[in-house]
Amino acid sequence: MASRTQLLVLSLGRRFSQRIKEVILAVQDYVLLTVRGLAAIVTPPHYYRELLAQMDGIGVQSLSIVVLTGMFTGMVLALQSAASLDAFGARPYVGRLVAISMVRELGPVLTALMVTGRVGSGMAAELGSMVVTQQIDALRVLGSDPVRKLVAPRLAAALIMVPILTVISDTVGIFGGSLISIFNLKLSWEYYWRSVGNAMVMNDLVMGFFKPLVFGLILSSVGCYMGLNTSGGTQGVGLSTTRSVVVASVTILSSDFFITKLLLLMFPVV
Amino acid sequence: MRETMRALLGLGPKTAPAPPEPPPGPRDPDEPIISFREVELSFDRPILQGVSFDLAPGTTKIVLGGSGSGKTTILRLILGLLKPDSGSIHVDGTEVGRLGEEELRPFRLKIGMVFQEGALFDSLTVGENVGYRLAEDGEMPEHEIEARVREMLGFVGLEKFYVRMPSELSGGQRRRVAFARALIAGPQIMLYDEPTTGLDPITATTITDLIAKVRDLDGVTSILVTHQLRDAFNVARTFMAKENGEFVPRMIGDLSTIEGTEFMMLRQGVVEFKGTPHELQTSEDPYIREFLS
Repeated sequence: MASRTQLLVLSLGRRFSQRIKEVILAVQDYVLLTVRGLAAIVTPPHYYRELLAQMDGIGVQSLSIVVLTGMFTGMVLALQSAASLDAFGARPYVGRLVAISMVRELGPVLTALMVTGRVGSGMAAELGSMVVTQQIDALRVLGSDPVRKLVAPRLAAALIMVPILTVISDTVGIFGGSLISIFNLKLSWEYYWRSVGNAMVMNDLVMGFFKPLVFGLILSSVGCYMGLNTSGGTQGVGLSTTRSVVVASVTILSSDFFITKLLLLMFPVV
Repeated sequence: MRETMRALLGLGPKTAPAPPEPPPGPRDPDEPIISFREVELSFDRPILQGVSFDLAPGTTKIVLGGSGSGKTTILRLILGLLKPDSGSIHVDGTEVGRLGEEELRPFRLKIGMVFQEGALFDSLTVGENVGYRLAEDGEMPEHEIEARVREMLGFVGLEKFYVRMPSELSGGQRRRVAFARALIAGPQIMLYDEPTTGLDPITATTITDLIAKVRDLDGVTSILVTHQLRDAFNVARTFMAKENGEFVPRMIGDLSTIEGTEFMMLRQGVVEFKGTPHELQTSEDPYIREFLS
């Protein structure tokens, strides 16, 4: 009986160590792919047509969902914060609260999550389909570097477009908050916007720009990695798509904490 | 397909550093253009075990075998898409297994590959697919590329399909476009991975005729991987005859008179048979008899 238990423990231990090894190898592949993709952005040859197509896909075609998300987030934020601030007689600070919340947290995170759902999954599906239909092999046989041709333009496009989309989301969100403040909370237009202006400090802008850069890199690199790592035909493509959304979303949310902590240490709020 | 990712990142099996290659001299015409020596490859299970063969310039090797026997892996090894665990693979005097991804890119230009389903780029038109390699080189003006692409599409009988998208093509047309794409840069070696699988007999004959045409008119060395016996023997039997100023495909009746074509059969990664079409046809080996029946 004891020997059977020992065998079971040994087998579990072996499986666990195998799984750990696989995870470490996957992280190594992911980091290498990302580094090579980033290096390919700054070294020739460049695929400008591919870059423009990706910028269109990530930026222009994601605009509507980002605007809608930003607008309603700003509006609901104004409603919720007013309800809490009224208890302290601080309703006039709604603009400040909406602006800080949008620029520091909700704008970057929600934009990244929306773009991950729309674009990151698309990247995984597109590259995954290319793997299972041997188009990646065909690219290599025809003398192209798939990392340079496919990964680099996607990373570059995300690094450019996610910060721009975030700025748009922040602006629309603060505007949405102003609509609620004026028409529902009976605050004046000038007071709201002055409150927004007074709230913004350099720290907010640094956070507002740095976070979308990191999130853009995460969502595009995870999408590319999952896509290029696809196996098992069309079922595998579906699996890669789902995985890319889950992994990128969790990584974005967890990295948000560490970035915030780091930036608050570097630029403390006074 | 994890191998795809690792190969992309240059993380294949570790090989010893390449010894300095002697400077290229005049090529011995009898020297094989492709040479496998005791090639072994395993993933979760052994894929190839001790595979050795030679292929002389201008000849054709037809690789037969059931699913999972390692046929396609041989083509991927020749192209350097995979690296062997042990053994050596020489292509046109170069040991492929020792080349890195950067060195492989110019090397692959001398090889044309027709993938199983064509592997055409979905986002590009037929013309862009065929002219992809020339456009990537960036050395030829656009109008010359277009003229060359139209010529190649004419060769495979699809000159009117220049602006079509791959999704608008039938299975046979996709393979013919893949043919044109592989041929456009004038390769010395052509590799065909199951080019007739899933096609009706008439379309499959169009493809086997094309393989014979490329072999006989351009003297291209070829490896055809297939499990379709009829198409394999069609390629071996077909030759291009000049009639009324035009080349037309004709069939050799007697297998024993076929020259320049060799069959190789794989069984679970091991070479089960190597020989002429006639030797294959008359083999007494029970596995081969069962395969041929």
